[in-house]
Amino acid sequence: MAFLKVVQWIVWKDLVTEIRSRETISSMVFFALIVILIFSFSFSMNQQAAQEVIAGIIWVAFAFTGIIGLGKSFSSELQNDCLESLQMVPAPKGAIFLGKVTANFAFIFVVEILLFPMFVIFFNLDVIEEIPILLLIFFLATIGLSAVGTLFSALTVQIRAREVMLPILLLPLVVPVMIAAVEATKGALHGDPFSLYRQWVELLSIFDVVFTVVSFWLFEFVMDS
Amino acid sequence: MTAISATHLSKSFGHYHVLQNISIEIAQGECFALFGPNGSGKTTLLKIFATLQRPTSGHMAILGHDGSQGKEEIRASLMFLAHGSHLYEDLNAIENLQFALSLRGLSPSDHEIKVALDRVAIGAFSEMKVRNFSAGMKKRLALAKATLAQPQVLLLDEPFSALDTAGMEIMQNYIREVVHRQGTVLMSTHDSDKTRAIAHRAGIIRKGHLEPYDIGTSPDYGLS
Amino acid sequence: MIHKAIRRIQRLKGWFGGGAALCIFAGLYLGLIDSPPDYYQGEVVRIMYVHVPLAHTALFAYTVLFGGSVWYLWKRDPIVDNMCHACAALSAIFTALALATGMIWGKPTWNTWWTWDARLTSFIVLLLILIGYLMLRTFIDDPEKEARYAAVLAILGFVDLPIIHFSVEWWRTLHQPQSFSIRGVSISSGLLVPLFCMSVGMSLLFSYMLMVRTQLLYLTHLLHAKKGRLLSQFHLSKADS
Repeated sequence: MAFLKVVQWIVWKDLVTEIRSRETISSMVFFALIVILIFSFSFSMNQQAAQEVIAGIIWVAFAFTGIIGLGKSFSSELQNDCLESLQMVPAPKGAIFLGKVTANFAFIFVVEILLFPMFVIFFNLDVIEEIPILLLIFFLATIGLSAVGTLFSALTVQIRAREVMLPILLLPLVVPVMIAAVEATKGALHGDPFSLYRQWVELLSIFDVVFTVVSFWLFEFVMDS
Repeated sequence: MTAISATHLSKSFGHYHVLQNISIEIAQGECFALFGPNGSGKTTLLKIFATLQRPTSGHMAILGHDGSQGKEEIRASLMFLAHGSHLYEDLNAIENLQFALSLRGLSPSDHEIKVALDRVAIGAFSEMKVRNFSAGMKKRLALAKATLAQPQVLLLDEPFSALDTAGMEIMQNYIREVVHRQGTVLMSTHDSDKTRAIAHRAGIIRKGHLEPYDIGTSPDYGLS
Repeated sequence: MIHKAIRRIQRLKGWFGGGAALCIFAGLYLGLIDSPPDYYQGEVVRIMYVHVPLAHTALFAYTVLFGGSVWYLWKRDPIVDNMCHACAALSAIFTALALATGMIWGKPTWNTWWTWDARLTSFIVLLLILIGYLMLRTFIDDPEKEARYAAVLAILGFVDLPIIHFSVEWWRTLHQPQSFSIRGVSISSGLLVPLFCMSVGMSLLFSYMLMVRTQLLYLTHLLHAKKGRLLSQFHLSKADS
C-alpha cells in the first residue's frame, strides 16, 4: 500500500541518516547529561528531598532534550531544499507525518533509555521492580511529545526565530503530558500501587490518541498551501 | 491535449505582486523556454505549476487536473528539477534514487539504477555519499532521478547552470527524449544559445506579465 | 470593493458598543453598590463581579478564535483571518485581566498573590498559548502562510484546553486537599443578577472590540495592498528605463 511504503521509507531514511552522521542522538544525550548535572548542583538534596523532585527533573531533562531532536527532524530537511521534495510527494501528507513521528519517537525513546540508568546512579534510585511500568510511562509520554512536536517542528522550520519558537509553541500545549508523566513517574519511583497513579497513565493514553489524530489531520495544512 | 495551462494566474507575496494575470497553454510534446531577469518570478511560476505554491488568484491545470483539487494526480505525473538538488547528503547516490523513487510509488531494479547513473556519467560514484558530490554531480544525479521516474511533465529551473559541456549535452539529449515520447517540458533559463535547438516556443516575464519572446527557436528533433 | 462584511460591521458595531456600555454600567452598579457583601469574604467578594465575567469572556473569545480558524482553513477568506488575529489579541487581553483580577481577589482572601489554583493555572497556560500565537504571526512574512499556521495553532490549542484544565485540576486536588477554588462563594440569587449582567456586558464589549479591530486590520491590509501595487508598478517601470 502506497501510504505504508511512504511511512517506511521516511523512517528508513531518518534512521540511516542518524546512524551515519550520529549527530542527533549524541547531542541529545550530552545535553541531557549537562542538564542532570546542573540540577544536581542546584538542588543540594538529601535522600528524602530527592525523592520528591527527581521525577520532575527527569521529565524536564527529557522534554528539553526531546525538543532538540524534534527541531533537527525538519531542519535537516532544509539542506538541498529536501523539504520541497517532501511537499511534492504524490501521497497523503499524513504518511510523511507518521514516518517522521515514528523516527522522532525512536530517537527520543532511545535517549530516555540511555539516560535513565544515569538518573538511577546519580540519585540512588531503587527501581528494579518498577522498570516495566516506567518503560510504559516513558513510551506513552514520548508518543504525545513526538506527535505534537513533529507537527510544530514542521511548522516552525519555515519561519524566523525557529529554534526559539518551537519550545515556545510546544511546551504550553504538552503541559498535560508533563503533569501526567511527572505524577506517574513519581508514583512508580515511590513504589506506590498502580491504582494510585493509574489515572495519569490513562490521561497520557487519551492525550496520545487525541493528539496523534488531530496532528495527523492538521499536518496537511502545515505542509501544503 | 493541453499539458500545462494557466488562466489569469496572479501571485503576490504580501504587498509585492510578482506575477500578474498570466495565461498560457503548453501542449503535450512541446518544450517551452521561460526567460526573464533575476527576480522576475520565473521560479515562482514554476513552483505554482509544481503545486508548491498556491496562486493568489486564477487557475492552473496540469494534464487536465485542476491545481487546487487534483494535487496528488499532478504530483504523480510531474517532476520538478529545482535549484536545490533534493538530495540527502548522508545517503549515497543509489540510496537517494531508491528513496526518491519509492516515495513516487516506483521501485527500480538495481540494474535500472546502474543504467541511469551511467547515462549521466556518475556511475563510478554510485556508492559515494552525496555530501562529497560537486554541484554539477548533484545536478546530474537529479537528472538521473528524472530518467527513472519518466514523468509526463518536466519542470526545470535553470537546468544548464552548474553543468559542464558534457553535462549540458546530456541534459539537452534528455529533454529531446522527453519531447520525443510526447512528454512536456517547461524550463526557465538565461541562455538562448543552448535553448534555441530544443525549445519550440519561448516567453519572457516582464513586469509580472508573460509575453512571447523570439530567440530564433529552431528546435532540432531530427536526431534521436 | 470594500468587503460586504465590513459594511455590516460598520452598521452594527454601534449597537454592540452601546449595549455593552449599558450592561456594564448596570452590572457595576448592582454589583458594587446594590448587592450585599459576602458573609465570609466581606466587601472583597465584589471583585468576583469583574473577575468571573472576564474569565468567561476570555473563554468565549477563544472559542470564537477556534471557530474562525476552522472557517479560515475551510474557506480561506482573508477577512476571517483578520478576525482571528484581532480575536487572539483581545482574548489575550481578557485572559491577562482575568488573571490579574484573580490575583487581586486572592491576596486579601488567602494572603498570597498566587495559589496554583486550577483555574488560574490553566489560564496562565492559555495566556502562553495566545502569546505564542501572536509571536508566531509576527515571525512569518508570507501572509497566506501566516494565516494558515496561526489557524493550525489555534485549533490545536482549543482541543488541548479541556485536557489542560483537567490535568491541572487533578494535579491540584492531589496536592492541595482543601480547595482554594474561587468558586468557594455561595451563590445566592442576589448575586446572580449583577453577575449575569456583567457577563453579558463583557461579551458585548468583546464583540464590539472585535468588530472594530477586524475592520482596522482589514483596512490596513487593503491599504498596504494598494500601496504595494503602486510601488511594484513604480519599481518595475523604473527598472525598464
